[in-house]
Amino acid sequence: MSSPAPESTPVVVRASDVSKRFVIRKDKSLKERVVNFGRSNKHKDDFWALRDVSLEISAGSTVGLVGANGSGKSTLLKVIGGIIQPDTGIVQRRGRLAALLELGAGFHPDLTGRENVFLNGAILGLSRKQTEQYFDSIVEFSEIGDFIDTQVKFYSSGMYVRLAFAIAVHVDPDLLLVDEVLAVGDEPFQEKCMAKIREFQKEGRTIVFVSHSSAQIEDLCDRVVVLSHGEAIFDGGTVDGLEALRESFGR
Amino acid sequence: MTDQATERAQRLATLPFESSGPTSVRSVGGFVSAVREIFGQKELLDLLIRRELKSRYKDSSLGFVWSLIRPLTMLLIYYVFIGQVLGAARGVPDFAIFVYAGLTLWGLYSEIVTAGTSSIITNAGLIKKVYLPREIFPLASVGSALFNFAIQMGILLLATIALGQFPLSWDLLYVPVAVIIVIIYGTALALLLSALNVYLRDVQYLVEVAILLFFWASPIVYSWSFVVNATVQRGASWLGELYLLNPISISMIAFDRGIWKAGSEQRVIEGNVIPAQPWPEHMDIRLVITAIVGLVFVVIAQRIFARLQGNFAQEI
Repeated sequence: MSSPAPESTPVVVRASDVSKRFVIRKDKSLKERVVNFGRSNKHKDDFWALRDVSLEISAGSTVGLVGANGSGKSTLLKVIGGIIQPDTGIVQRRGRLAALLELGAGFHPDLTGRENVFLNGAILGLSRKQTEQYFDSIVEFSEIGDFIDTQVKFYSSGMYVRLAFAIAVHVDPDLLLVDEVLAVGDEPFQEKCMAKIREFQKEGRTIVFVSHSSAQIEDLCDRVVVLSHGEAIFDGGTVDGLEALRESFGR
Repeated sequence: MTDQATERAQRLATLPFESSGPTSVRSVGGFVSAVREIFGQKELLDLLIRRELKSRYKDSSLGFVWSLIRPLTMLLIYYVFIGQVLGAARGVPDFAIFVYAGLTLWGLYSEIVTAGTSSIITNAGLIKKVYLPREIFPLASVGSALFNFAIQMGILLLATIALGQFPLSWDLLYVPVAVIIVIIYGTALALLLSALNVYLRDVQYLVEVAILLFFWASPIVYSWSFVVNATVQRGASWLGELYLLNPISISMIAFDRGIWKAGSEQRVIEGNVIPAQPWPEHMDIRLVITAIVGLVFVVIAQRIFARLQGNFAQEI
């Protein structure tokens, strides 16, 4: 399994033997824990979300993470982003990271769009001045218009994602993690996002992309990693990857 | 590849690898690197404090006034019922200043602990989606509690001036010392309890009860001399010592000593002579030791927090 990117490009993400186990506890309250104390093992279920996944991603590549529901794609993305810690193995990365995971990357519902842009900018590592510089262009990209001074809780889900995406692409990331969020926007906006992602590819940024849409994967990615039950079962070219994905559904 | 891409690749090649998420977990050196990491995010911390303050009274028309109404109502209740009806004011000169001082410092402590405890849970949205040094969330609660405290402290100082009781003496230095000790212990508890609360939600309810209980374990509505009388008269001065081991009690006494001028003087109320408060012996040393122990407690709490935070995102 060799990575299709040329040898000369530096590695941005290096994951070695990453495993993540989820313990599903069925008792959450103190009372239940006390009552079930001696028998606590019966009230636990292990679930391996990731098992010995090793992966190197080199700069400038666009990697699609695919797999059936529950195969560990999103967990892997979160481990790369540092949001969850793996139980074993290490993940190293370099460069500025921006992550778009699920809806609205950390918006506060009671604050206005404007306040959230500054908050999110700071979270993604921009200084106040830099956010001010990018502000107009963020609002323009998101097409939110006058709603920027409305509290975010009144936004539609499309507006949410548009604003979140607009911020994420303006923080000048070296590594962009995208988790299925683009499916929410309308078609013109999706087109716009795709165009932006292509621009990113030209600029040599690295993108890790979780999607269920084969068309999007085929369109954008130069490498596909197929996950199944927490294991990486395929790592290579797009066409073969999608083939392997279809086979994995049967397993 | 375009020029821009080559340039980026070259720049990335020179950057060192960092491990995703929190760095070292085990050593005490991890504490230093955690502090450095948080310090690097102080602009964000500032924004989070503002957010907390802004969102709290966002849709109410009175806004910040509400943060004043609560303590003033409490002052009224304690002044009227404990002070006048039950007669505590007969043994405590300038009872209103005394109670308000106690409520102000206690308000700081209880707000840090209660808001801090639930801070990780209330910020679940952020924690699940981005990596930040998570200590920032309990610290933001400390910051917003300090803001409310500053307003109340301002009112307290104005009140002492208006009543002609402004405590102009070296004892005033006890005030910042007391506040610092309260912040130290509050921060340590906020770090520790916020992390535990993720795994066991009962913690936040336990904290509410404990706060109610410990309110009476510090000299807020009764003065230190009541404690001395109650313990010494019964020949149990060790109980008084035990009382002083509570860091909040000793800070409360120091705070009173600084701001409550009448406590250090002999006063006459309705014909009764009230002697000056028998401030505890070796108070300065006690405060220094309490502060040092508190700092050790902060380090320990942060270490426990660092251990527990690896699983925050999936436990919330």
